[in-house]
Amino acid sequence: MISYGFKQRIASVVVYIFLAVMAFLSIFPFLWMVIGATNTTSDIVKGKMTFGEAVVANATTFFTQVNAPLIFWNSAKITIIATVLTLLISSLAGYGFEIFSSRFREKLYTLMLLSLMIPFAALMIPLFMLMGKFGLINTHIAVVLPTVASAFIIFYFRQSTKAFPHELRDAARVDGLKEWQIFFLIYMPVMRSTYAAAFIIVFMTAWNSYLWPLIVLQSNETKTITLVISSLGSAYYPDYGVVMIGTVLATIPTLFVFFAMQRQFVEGMLGSVK
Amino acid sequence: MSAISTRPKRPRFDVNGWLFVGPALALIAIFMVFPILHSLWMSFQSGLGMRLSFAGLKNIYRLFNDPLFLMALTNTFIFFLVQVPVMLTLALITAALLNNPDIKFRGVLRTAIFLPCVTSLVAYTVLFKSMFVANGLVNTVLINLGIVNVGIPWMTDPFWCRVMIIIAITWRWTGYNMIFYLAAMQNIDRSVYEAARIDGVPTWARFVSLTVPMLKPVILFTTVTSTIGTLQLFDEVSTITGGGSAGGAAGPGNSALTLSLYIYNLTFKFAPNLGYAATVSYVIVLLVAILSFLQFYAARERKA
Amino acid sequence: MNRKTVALAFAGASLIAITAAQAAEVTVWCWDPNFNVAIMKQAGEIYAKTHPDFKLNVVDFAKADLEQKLQTGLASGVADGMPDIVLIEDYGAQKYLQSFPDAFTPLSDKVDYSGFADYKVKLATLDGKVYSMPFDSGVAGLFYRKDMITAAGYTPADMQDLTWDKYVEIGKAVEAKTGKKMMGFDPNDGGLVRVLMQSAGGWYFDKDGKLSVEGNVALKGALDVIQKIQVNNIFRPAAGWADWVGSFTSGEVATVVTGVWITGTVKSQADQAGKWGVAPLPKLSVEGATHFSNLGGSSWYVLSGSKAKDESIDFLNEIYAKNIDFYQKILVDRGAVGSLLAARNGEAYKSNDAFFGGEPIWQNFSDWLAKVPSVNYGTFTNEVDSVVSAHQPDLAKGASVDDVIKAIDDQAKTLVQ
Repeated sequence: MISYGFKQRIASVVVYIFLAVMAFLSIFPFLWMVIGATNTTSDIVKGKMTFGEAVVANATTFFTQVNAPLIFWNSAKITIIATVLTLLISSLAGYGFEIFSSRFREKLYTLMLLSLMIPFAALMIPLFMLMGKFGLINTHIAVVLPTVASAFIIFYFRQSTKAFPHELRDAARVDGLKEWQIFFLIYMPVMRSTYAAAFIIVFMTAWNSYLWPLIVLQSNETKTITLVISSLGSAYYPDYGVVMIGTVLATIPTLFVFFAMQRQFVEGMLGSVK
Repeated sequence: MSAISTRPKRPRFDVNGWLFVGPALALIAIFMVFPILHSLWMSFQSGLGMRLSFAGLKNIYRLFNDPLFLMALTNTFIFFLVQVPVMLTLALITAALLNNPDIKFRGVLRTAIFLPCVTSLVAYTVLFKSMFVANGLVNTVLINLGIVNVGIPWMTDPFWCRVMIIIAITWRWTGYNMIFYLAAMQNIDRSVYEAARIDGVPTWARFVSLTVPMLKPVILFTTVTSTIGTLQLFDEVSTITGGGSAGGAAGPGNSALTLSLYIYNLTFKFAPNLGYAATVSYVIVLLVAILSFLQFYAARERKA
Repeated sequence: MNRKTVALAFAGASLIAITAAQAAEVTVWCWDPNFNVAIMKQAGEIYAKTHPDFKLNVVDFAKADLEQKLQTGLASGVADGMPDIVLIEDYGAQKYLQSFPDAFTPLSDKVDYSGFADYKVKLATLDGKVYSMPFDSGVAGLFYRKDMITAAGYTPADMQDLTWDKYVEIGKAVEAKTGKKMMGFDPNDGGLVRVLMQSAGGWYFDKDGKLSVEGNVALKGALDVIQKIQVNNIFRPAAGWADWVGSFTSGEVATVVTGVWITGTVKSQADQAGKWGVAPLPKLSVEGATHFSNLGGSSWYVLSGSKAKDESIDFLNEIYAKNIDFYQKILVDRGAVGSLLAARNGEAYKSNDAFFGGEPIWQNFSDWLAKVPSVNYGTFTNEVDSVVSAHQPDLAKGASVDDVIKAIDDQAKTLVQ
């Protein structure tokens, strides 16, 4: 028994060391970014690893060069609308693909998965032409529309639905619930850890999305924070201190969402099922 | 693909089913399928910019005689074969450890490990470049620990440059994949674990024989999406190894030139050859389709 | 559904549609907030003093982003949202002009090009018409640390008429005496090859734009130098732009070979004041070699689809082709050296720079600017450049220059079509 307990303790020490190393390696660049935000560009380039005094100067430059309220508002608007619509439309489809049957189901599903496989660079020009035809160039709706039906998220929801207990559904049917009621009243609450993970991923993807907004947004008034940071970072001699302030600010919303959503992983779903 | 999915007895035309998948399918048809067909049409054309003309199979012929394409294909495969297994294993182990309710500081650890994928690409690039330069932090640490005598030529040697890229992608996406595993682990009934634990099944065996099989759908999901991600690898190679000026090689001897980067160059950096770029992108589609099929197939086999 | 209905439906259904900007405003796309963006805004302010109705809207993107947007817009033929004026790096000029015929407006009828540096005008000429308003020049120079050169036993006078062989020799002496390397060099970047090649009047293409790799004297001379620099290990390896900049701002190297636009960055290190000098480039040992070359630089182009074409052209012409004071202002404020040769007669260009020990560096750069050999950048500079950069490490390993040129030729042929 003693040796078992000893082994356990060794094992848990190894586990903590492993996790601590992973966490440190993961957090290090973020920390460096925060430190960078307080240093001047020449210190950052030299690889200075301690906090400096330039944070006010960097922030001042950032807020004079960038119309921050507008830019953050643009990003927030696009991200929130994209996240809500994507979760709704894609989870409906992921659930639908798994639950309902049709002769065409698997063919359509495979076709949809194929659409994931083509590199976006190859689609950009045709998609841009399409938006031009719709007269939507330089609008935020053009940023959101192509992302809402995400084959990726549909795929995720379908895979996760495989763990959805169909007894629940059968019982609900017996109780006389309609299909849409089953989805909104049973499936959604039960699958909330799946929704939480998807929320984080979709939010993050929308907030950080770069290539497509870059192509379709043309003016200073419609730009998102990601585009602004990219242009700040590309000068002949970029002011990295300002870039770092911008990146730290741009990272905060996603971190906040992650903190808020991760509780769902801890609570789990089983409690609500039983 | 769906040997195990539920197939309730329903009428041929399932109104509810179509209503559920309809909105998504309509949007995908407009914003994905249409552009895809358009680019398929472009792949049969050749020429610069707007001066395109029909070229039949000329682009495919060009593929096989294009040393840069073959190099990009090789590089992409190297990244895929090494990086995807390493990253997913790491993500799965981390998720399993963090799923243990006895672990302290779980919230903090989870957040920390998730951080890399939210850090902006710009900051991440600047950082990785400065850490991996000849006299940068990584080499300093390795030398001080006595692991190497001379600094590793990360940025100037093709082999080490690829290693660096693999480290970078793994760093960025491990926490991301961990999230899917963690979410899926909530669906596993704790009582099954308890029973196994009481029966004296050791931790490792519980992980292999209980956790992994139950996560199979999500493991399949992450494998397919990581395959797609790696075969379309672009961000890391373009920003970390990208030259400062007009041309510039993708890493020493083009060792970090991937198919996606090549497509990007053909479309935006070089004199725009949209037809040929579309052809190269269909090579990716073909590869991903084959690999995904194999992965679905493998997942189904073991199920039976 | 026609496009109007769709657009209306979308606009009505959501609050997130943005109304299009009003016309009669000149929109410009460019890329560096501290450089061409700021300069363009200054130009707009000056022009607005005499043209009160004039409204300028400068939109800045990262350079690679801008090129991506421009190519997407031009290739898809969607005129919506395109700018009136766009900044294009000179190496890409012919690529755009030839790939997208009729997308840009020729300016030769409106602008007097005789006052500009000859090579800047030729690079934007297609079928006898000039399409650009030449902007900043990348006239190249040899920036060197007087203190390190002196410590190695040489004088600033020795630096004025160098050959590259002599340069390598000095490099070895500098390392022996000071422990510093002679230059920061990124083996994955082809910039130095381009500088060297153009200094001998050569490029990857001949005067007709045909690929010219094998038998190209200037390219061979350039690669010879690249090999000598690497084999003699007189360089501090740099990974990317920031690291390269760091090599001289942190005082690790004795010289910088690059375009005049780096001057501001060199001067940003106040503690190095008085230690720097600027000399003409060392010369290649091949036929046609000169001390003058160029790296980078860019020019303004007016799009044919512009609704404010006349205003745009008049604006560019009034400021960039005629206003000498403007060029003084951007030199002082932004360190920008334009391509208008007459600008040298202004006050700022005549001043001596204390940072460079009182040397008349702007007069010198102006002299060199007029003498930069004109070459044909062709349509495929980026293609060949990426191939050449990929082969630079082979030269370090001792591969013969001829073999490397052969390998470059093989790869370049498939890309250039």
